[in-house]
Amino acid sequence: MSSPAFQIRSGRIRAAAPGVQSALRARLTVVPRLRTRTSPLPFVTLVSFLLLAGVIGLLMFNTSMQQAAFAATSMEQQAATLNAREQTLRMELDVLRDPQRVALKAQQLGMVIPSSPAFLRLSDGKVLGTPAAATREDGVRLLPRPPKKPAVLDPAPNVVKVRAENGAAGTAHGAARDKNKASDRSGNQSSGNR
Amino acid sequence: MRRTVSRYPRRGRVVPRGALRGSPHLRLRLGFIAIAMVLSVFGARLVQLQGVDPHAYAAMAAAEGTVTLDLPAHRGDILDRNGKPLADDIDGSMVVADPSVTRDKAPELARFLAHRLDIDYFVTLKALRQKDRKFAYIARRVPASKAADVVAEAKAAGFKGLDTRHDPIRDYPAGDVAANLVGFVGTDEALAGFESNFDELLAGTDGSERYAVGRGNRIPLGDATTKLPVDGQDLQTTIDLDLQWYTQRVLRQTVEDASADSGFAVVMDSKTGEVLALADDPTFDARNPQAAPRKDRVTRAMTDVYEPGSVEKVLTLSALIDAGKATAHTRVTVPPELPSGDRVIHDWFDHGTLYLTLAGVLAQSSNIGTVLATRNFDSGQLRDYLVKFGLGQKTNVGVAGETQGILPDPSIWTSMTQDRIAFGQSLSVNALQMAAAVNTIANGGVRVSPSLIRGTAVTDDGLVVGTDTATTTRVVSSAAAKQMSRMMERVVDPDAGVAPAAQIAGYRVAGKTGTAQRVGPFCGCYNGTFTVSFAGFAPADKPRFTVYVVVQNPRNGGGGGSVAGPAFAKIMSYALRRYGVPPTGSAPSQLPTTWRPGQVASR
Repeated sequence: MSSPAFQIRSGRIRAAAPGVQSALRARLTVVPRLRTRTSPLPFVTLVSFLLLAGVIGLLMFNTSMQQAAFAATSMEQQAATLNAREQTLRMELDVLRDPQRVALKAQQLGMVIPSSPAFLRLSDGKVLGTPAAATREDGVRLLPRPPKKPAVLDPAPNVVKVRAENGAAGTAHGAARDKNKASDRSGNQSSGNR
Repeated sequence: MRRTVSRYPRRGRVVPRGALRGSPHLRLRLGFIAIAMVLSVFGARLVQLQGVDPHAYAAMAAAEGTVTLDLPAHRGDILDRNGKPLADDIDGSMVVADPSVTRDKAPELARFLAHRLDIDYFVTLKALRQKDRKFAYIARRVPASKAADVVAEAKAAGFKGLDTRHDPIRDYPAGDVAANLVGFVGTDEALAGFESNFDELLAGTDGSERYAVGRGNRIPLGDATTKLPVDGQDLQTTIDLDLQWYTQRVLRQTVEDASADSGFAVVMDSKTGEVLALADDPTFDARNPQAAPRKDRVTRAMTDVYEPGSVEKVLTLSALIDAGKATAHTRVTVPPELPSGDRVIHDWFDHGTLYLTLAGVLAQSSNIGTVLATRNFDSGQLRDYLVKFGLGQKTNVGVAGETQGILPDPSIWTSMTQDRIAFGQSLSVNALQMAAAVNTIANGGVRVSPSLIRGTAVTDDGLVVGTDTATTTRVVSSAAAKQMSRMMERVVDPDAGVAPAAQIAGYRVAGKTGTAQRVGPFCGCYNGTFTVSFAGFAPADKPRFTVYVVVQNPRNGGGGGSVAGPAFAKIMSYALRRYGVPPTGSAPSQLPTTWRPGQVASR
């Protein structure tokens, strides 16, 4: 490096010319790149971390999905069971509010469906229609009549008339009961021909 | 090599075994042979799998770990007008068993099941003991939660081989209420009524689902195909469940008390034509249809034809008034009998010569008076009116097997025919037809076509029915309808009319009785039995409901007024009370029913 400078200084430039040229060319050699030797460790760590994270993440995702699937299955089963139970209860409810059942219960309590409707108007307290007390005759038979039995199984009642010996109270009572029975029977069959 | 030789010096020239064993060529060759043998086994297996029966193996592979589920469609409910179910679908299960597993403990298991599921012990025992079977029905149509509980209990008690399968239950919560209309379903198909007539609409389409499972759980990202089921639609009827129930009970009592063959009753909303109740008796329990004879499982009110009798006079006389041929005051002189062609027409009661107004003719239900008045019609006029009233045509409300009735063709319509048709003979109707015709008067002369379905629905035959398709036709003028309504009020008058039993205290009721001879099924002639009926509406001056009660062949000697009249009154008063219709409070009709010869006409 120091010799070309020296040659120029000595004045022998011409003679030194080719040498200078070569020297100049020599000076233009590519400077070796500065290679910093970094450690591969961070990169490897990063890659393996990503890889590991990916694998673990996928695994956990898969696991959680499986877990969710288990939960979903059991909850679906639970929902189906509850749904079935609800429907069973609804069926029971429908049985309970069947008009026939309600009417039978009401009849057992002595209630009768009245025959003549009447209304009470709240604005002026006026009664519309003809109010009448419901009687036994208004009632509707809720159950079909039992089939008629043959005479052998259904003998005529053996009626023995006993005259009361003392006091008229017993007789009057008995007569009233007989009359009631008769009217019950005729109430079921409408008489008159048009 | 040298070392080997030196190791076995005594064997000398004999090629030592070790030499061959060590030879790479031989080793290679043996290796190849072994590999070739293994590969040819694989090859053979491959040919077997792919060549011989690839599909079976593919199917087996697919079946391993996949599950196919049927996704059954929910069958639509049949509802009443307020949304109460007449028929509904309930999640149910069938309990099935694998007899090859259950054989060993059959008696114990049968006892357990018979106790828990209320089934027959011996049938169950037989099913559980079957030989060479892998499947047996134990109980069908069990509520799902109960079936699941029973199977779980059985498992806990150590019984194996039980399982449940989907098996929906069709429930009819109201039993026999509207059963004739609603119908019922059999084990696998709809058999009668709306169930069968609207089956396509109600049934929907089943779906299916296939997915991969692992340990009984669905694999989230596994193969899955799903075809969603399309649920059936609900069918809402115009029936009022409670009113229908009451109508059926009254009708049954009426039919029983009269020792009659059968009966039907119709309750219609006068304005809209919606049928609130359509009752038949005898009827059946839809939960147990097999218990009733087949003939009781149809809608008699729609499938039976019968001659309407005197109720028909309402149509004839209102047509006469509309045509301007008569008024309610028209005076008719009614002779004791009237010749008509080769026959003689009588009234239901013997009488001398009567002097009745047209209102009186209706109130006394005089055949002769009606015929005399009707003879004023122009030719063909009456028939045109009756067609407009809807006779001779189906009502098309969605009931299968409806009869269209018989209205004689113009070609066979003689004056004699007309005489008889005037009072309700020689033509046949179904009950709903007749109810709709009488309702025309209630609705001010406009016939509104009856409907049983709310909104619209399409039957399996492709017929569109429902309230949305209801039509209105003007048949008679509102003035004629009003006059007829006032005439009909006289029918239930205790003094002037024949049906005081149909009166409802406090209300103005318009009605008409009918007592018609019945045509026997075999001879085609009148067989001495009767059809008695009562049709009417209330309140007469502002009609809300039209009720029509028909009783076939009463054996207690009663007529329309005494048999059907009280039933009409009961049903009508229940309807009026239920819908809160107060009496109008106006003065009842006082139309004169008789006149005295020599008296000056009032109008």
